[in-house]
This record gives sequence, structure tokens and C-alpha cells, in this order.
Amino acid sequence: MIDSVSCAGPDWPAADIGRFECIGVAAEAESASRIREEFAEWLQRFFDLDPIRSSDLVLAINEALANAAEFAYLSADSDRPKTMDLIARYDAGDARLTVTICDHGVWRMPAAASARARGRGIPLMRALSDRVTIETSTAGTRVCLQWDGVGP
Amino acid sequence: MDEQRLPINDPTVAASKVASCSVEQQWVGRVAVVAVSGTVDLLTAPQLEQAIRAALDEKPAGLVIDFSDVEFLASAGMGVLVAVHDEVTPDMRFCVVAEGPSTSRPLKLVGIADLIKLYATRDEALSALSA
Repeated sequence: MIDSVSCAGPDWPAADIGRFECIGVAAEAESASRIREEFAEWLQRFFDLDPIRSSDLVLAINEALANAAEFAYLSADSDRPKTMDLIARYDAGDARLTVTICDHGVWRMPAAASARARGRGIPLMRALSDRVTIETSTAGTRVCLQWDGVGP
Repeated sequence: MDEQRLPINDPTVAASKVASCSVEQQWVGRVAVVAVSGTVDLLTAPQLEQAIRAALDEKPAGLVIDFSDVEFLASAGMGVLVAVHDEVTPDMRFCVVAEGPSTSRPLKLVGIADLIKLYATRDEALSALSA
């Protein structure tokens, strides 16, 4: 049974039908786009998803990546490498796909952002996923998105 | 096993993996139609904003943003729509053409469809603007 909350560790079962990881990627718009496109291809290759479900998944993970790219490293303090990770794991027994997006910064909202023109990433993630958890600590932020009933 | 480790930071990874967007300005009478295709995300949203700005500089009587050929629309793009809406309405008629899981669905899910009129086709949008 895959521990769907922790990021990649050494003990993953060998029997996954698929995993998809991008670790230590630059937290930038361009890499977010690349990861998203690769992830969409991986989904299409290994899973049987209707167009709505597929679109929902890709948009949800995009929003988590975009938040990391846009907000995680705005504050000047940085010994930390400005990177983000996306780790997807599929549990065939539960037919559940879990995608975890981590950054190692501190989310900051730019002062100039008007409330109305911004801030839809999290509501979108919640509307598009079956389950969302967002954990913030001094070490960074971890967004965990899950979808049930995902078949190969 | 079916594991992929992708060299995302590797510049030789195909540039085709990066999102792109193209925008055209078209006119129907005094209504500006900003026709978008491809991907509207964090990377390309500024391009959309710039194109809308250029259309607005021409002082149209109405503005239609046509997402019929958009394959992917992220919240960054939605933010542009809301900002434009707040700026141009009520003085100018403004609406969006969007249909399908990747455009109209997320716009409806986050309530933007309650703020900005959405139409499934450009014809419907143009009819509505001239009504």
C-alpha cells in the first residue's frame, strides 16, 4: 500500500504500474509548463480517462505547480535552491492516483495583486480533485491531490 | 517497470514541450475579436494580456475573447479575463467564447461564468453583443 502522503522515498513497491516524478526542477513558469505537458502524456499513455477527468487532472496539477513557480520564492531570503517537485503515484489496488507537488519556500502574495483578478488556483484544485491537502511549514509547502476511480 | 525520469531541466528536451499561445486580432464591424489558440497559462498569459491591450487601444465598441481553439486554460489566464472585465465594463460590451472541458468547464467551476458572459460559439457571442 503506497503511503500517498510522503514524497518519494527508497521503499516504493516495485509493482507500480506507473510513476512519474520530476524532482528538483526550477520553480518557474517554463518548467511548470513542461512538467504539465509530460504529465499529460504520461496520463494518456497509462490510464483510461475520459476527456473531462483528464483535463481536470492536468489543470489541477498545473495550478499547484504555478503556485510554487509564482509564489514560493518571492521573498529575498534564499539559501534554498528555488526548486519544486512533482511526484505521481498510482495505487492499482485502490485505483487511486496521488500527485504531490512540493516547494521549499514560503508562499507570499505580491502586494500589488488585486483580490479579484487573482487567487483561483486553490479553488480550482479543490473543484477539480477528489481530495486536496495543503501543508505549509518552514521547510516549504506540500500540495497533495488525489483522484479515485482511475483505471489503467 | 514503467518508470519515467524526465530531464526537465535539460535544455535539449524538446522545446515543443513548452506551452505556446498565438493570438489574432479580428474585427467584426466595431467589435474586436481576440482569437486565441494553444495554451493560456502562467507563461503565456502575459501574451494574452498584451494582445487584449492592443485591441483595446483601437477603441472597439465591444470585445470578444475567443477561446474556441484554446487547448488549455489556467488560472493565470482566467485572471486576465477578470481584470479585463473589471476594466472595460460596463462601458464596453465584453464576453468570452469557450466550450468544453478545458475552457468553459473550469471557468464555470470557479464562478467566472457568473461574472463574464460565456458563449459556446463566436456567432452566438457576436449576436449577443449586437443585440
